[in-house]
Amino acid sequence: MTEPDKKKDGAKKEAAKDETAKPLAEKIGFAKLDLTVEEVEERISPRETNVFDK
Amino acid sequence: MIQTASFPVTLVFPPQGHFTQPYLALPCLKAWLREHGFADVEVIDASVEAYDRFLTADYLARASARVPSLASFEGAQELRFEDMEAFRAAAESAASAASVIAGVEEAKRVLRGEDFYDPERYVPAVRTLYHGLRLVSAAHFPSQLTPHNFTMRYANDRSAEVLAATVDREENPFLEFYDSELLPRLDARPPRVLGLSVIYGSQLIPALTLGRLVKERFPDCHVTAGGGFLAYIGAKLMRAPGVDACLDSLVFHEGEAPLLGLCRALRDGGDLAEVGSLTWFDGGTPVENAPGHPIPLDRAPVPDFDGLPFDKYFSPETVLPFDINRGCYYGECTFCTLPTVIGPGYRTRRAETIVDHVIRLRDRHGARCFNFITDCMPPGMIADLPDELIRREANVRWWSDARIEPRAYTAEGARALYDSGCRKLLFGFETATPRLLKLMKKGQSVKSTLEVAENCSKAGISVTFYAMVGFPSETREEARATLDFLLAHSDVVREVSLQTFHLDEVAETYRDPAAFGIEVLDDPRADLQLYHDYVAASGMTAAEAAEAFDEMMAGFRANLPLFSGDNVLYFMQKSHYFLHLARDVHPDEFVRRCAERTNAREARGADPSLAPAEGLALVELPFSYADCVRTLGHPLARAVRPDFLTGSFVEGAREEAIASLGALAPARRVLAYANGEFVELRPDGRTALAALAAAGSLGELLAEAGSEAAEGLRAFAARLHRRGALTPRAAVPAAEFETQGVTS
Ligand code: SF4
Repeated sequence: MTEPDKKKDGAKKEAAKDETAKPLAEKIGFAKLDLTVEEVEERISPRETNVFDK
Repeated sequence: MIQTASFPVTLVFPPQGHFTQPYLALPCLKAWLREHGFADVEVIDASVEAYDRFLTADYLARASARVPSLASFEGAQELRFEDMEAFRAAAESAASAASVIAGVEEAKRVLRGEDFYDPERYVPAVRTLYHGLRLVSAAHFPSQLTPHNFTMRYANDRSAEVLAATVDREENPFLEFYDSELLPRLDARPPRVLGLSVIYGSQLIPALTLGRLVKERFPDCHVTAGGGFLAYIGAKLMRAPGVDACLDSLVFHEGEAPLLGLCRALRDGGDLAEVGSLTWFDGGTPVENAPGHPIPLDRAPVPDFDGLPFDKYFSPETVLPFDINRGCYYGECTFCTLPTVIGPGYRTRRAETIVDHVIRLRDRHGARCFNFITDCMPPGMIADLPDELIRREANVRWWSDARIEPRAYTAEGARALYDSGCRKLLFGFETATPRLLKLMKKGQSVKSTLEVAENCSKAGISVTFYAMVGFPSETREEARATLDFLLAHSDVVREVSLQTFHLDEVAETYRDPAAFGIEVLDDPRADLQLYHDYVAASGMTAAEAAEAFDEMMAGFRANLPLFSGDNVLYFMQKSHYFLHLARDVHPDEFVRRCAERTNAREARGADPSLAPAEGLALVELPFSYADCVRTLGHPLARAVRPDFLTGSFVEGAREEAIASLGALAPARRVLAYANGEFVELRPDGRTALAALAAAGSLGELLAEAGSEAAEGLRAFAARLHRRGALTPRAAVPAAEFETQGVTS
């Protein structure tokens, strides 16, 4: 690796470190997430039961 | 007695029937044949064997590999109604397959053992089996196999479609099952007669499929069929072109005498024309013989259950069926078809014989639980049977259908029933509207019905009511009055088996439509038609009745603890609720536990120890699964599938659904699956879940996420907790928490 390359790599690592160092809240921005939960109606229906078996 | 060892007879119960307990007809027939000299009779429950094979890790892995991938939906401009079922199947399979495959053997173990009695184990296990069957269905799309039904794209009321279904290797899962399991077994002992018992419409295609394969493989074997469903449509079926490739004959009504006559004629070279109640092919032309005589029921032998795969039923204890009588002693109800099934007349066994047989079955099979099969118990028997069971110290637990008989189900009578082991009775209540009861000729009043139910309930017997919605002329208000009545008495009526009225060819409502203010519509193309559409002069239309059904069912789900949330699974699996009662759990206690479970689930909150549930799977979707499921749940969309009961299609339903329900626009969504449940998130929800997994618990995530986000995260976590995607258990290591899907 050449000197400039090493430098570049070092800078990249630095940036990554910065990223990790950032508080999670800032990194992800939780307050802005769309946390909608759609409850799906269960496809288990008492409509479908065979009752007479003679 | 001469025993004919060299005349092998095989009796098969074809898929699809309940998977929780054996059926009665074939053991009765086997016992009758053996008593009359046919020693070599084998009974095969192909229904439970197919379920057991399909619900294995190996089979499901193969099925899941066959399911079309979600990738085919990527980039589409819209999700058309026509593609929604396929999308739903692909999405569900992508999210659930790995976990279902990994959990299916354990789920079966739970249902077959002591863990059955623990709802926290039982409910996820049953769900796993349901999802397993969805995988099986997705692999044979658009066929659908559930624990309660089997339907294909083919209409059950058209013979050409039914016959086409029997050779459809892509979509009929039973062809492979027969080829790889059943036929090799028959090779080892080629039968001379194969008898197929067809009780439900859902068995028609699988039965004919097997008939065809057996006729091809064993040209010397005579294939016959009988059973409740064929009692209705058998004559039409035998006239349908091409059916002789699947069947050689058909037995009507009670099977003992005709089957014995058939076996004798085939063994001895007798004349098939002499066998009563048989329809057979004479050079390709169906010949209908005169009806034969029913057997003296009290002299019929003990049903022979030997050889049935007791270890394969999905119940911890086998509940054995036993018929105490045949036919209905009342036989007046104008909608009722049951007398058609068994043939005319009413016959009973004596209480002494019943108890004698019950004790012998108990001792032979170590069975403690019985399902007494009866259209309804006559008043005398309601008194005699408990006395005899108590006197002989049978010490069994049992349940059965029953008719409202106020003089028999007194407080004292009900106590005797309880003491004899009766733990659950199902009464034909039908409606709370006296006008309709009269029209139905039920011969009972609402008041006496309630009295009977109260007496039984006080004695500790769980009461189920059969109720009907949409009887000709019934109004929406009358249906609501029935709902209100049932909810007002939910302390007495624990379960309601609700049915919509169907106009059935063998009922009085069909024979005398004017008396019920209806005009019957025929479908000339439906050559196997049993159920008819009709126009009613007053009251709800069939579509309105379907809506009223939904409203009533929603009322039960919201108000009857046994129907609330996933407790309804106990109601839906035959005998599963009863098995708790059979351990002398009082109905009040069971209902209390159900209510407690539902409330506890509703109360689940944002526990700081919450972490992603074990096995939580996330799949990215190009359309909303939730919207797709909602659309497919619309009555118009439901009409596109064959009707549950009739197996027929509503004319023009597909076109109407396409026109009215439209298409879905693309939407990036994430489908989560854990503990047998699906829930849909936005892509951000996945980000939050990944952060939660990395943090280790909700508490730790909240500490890191900052106060601004706390409320939203807590609400998110609480909802996922309620749906089982987050659990307060130890966290799953972040490395194991992977997102699958088409774009990740
Ligand atoms: S509904 Fe019940 S009581 Fe009425 S005729 Fe049918 S079997 Fe008999």
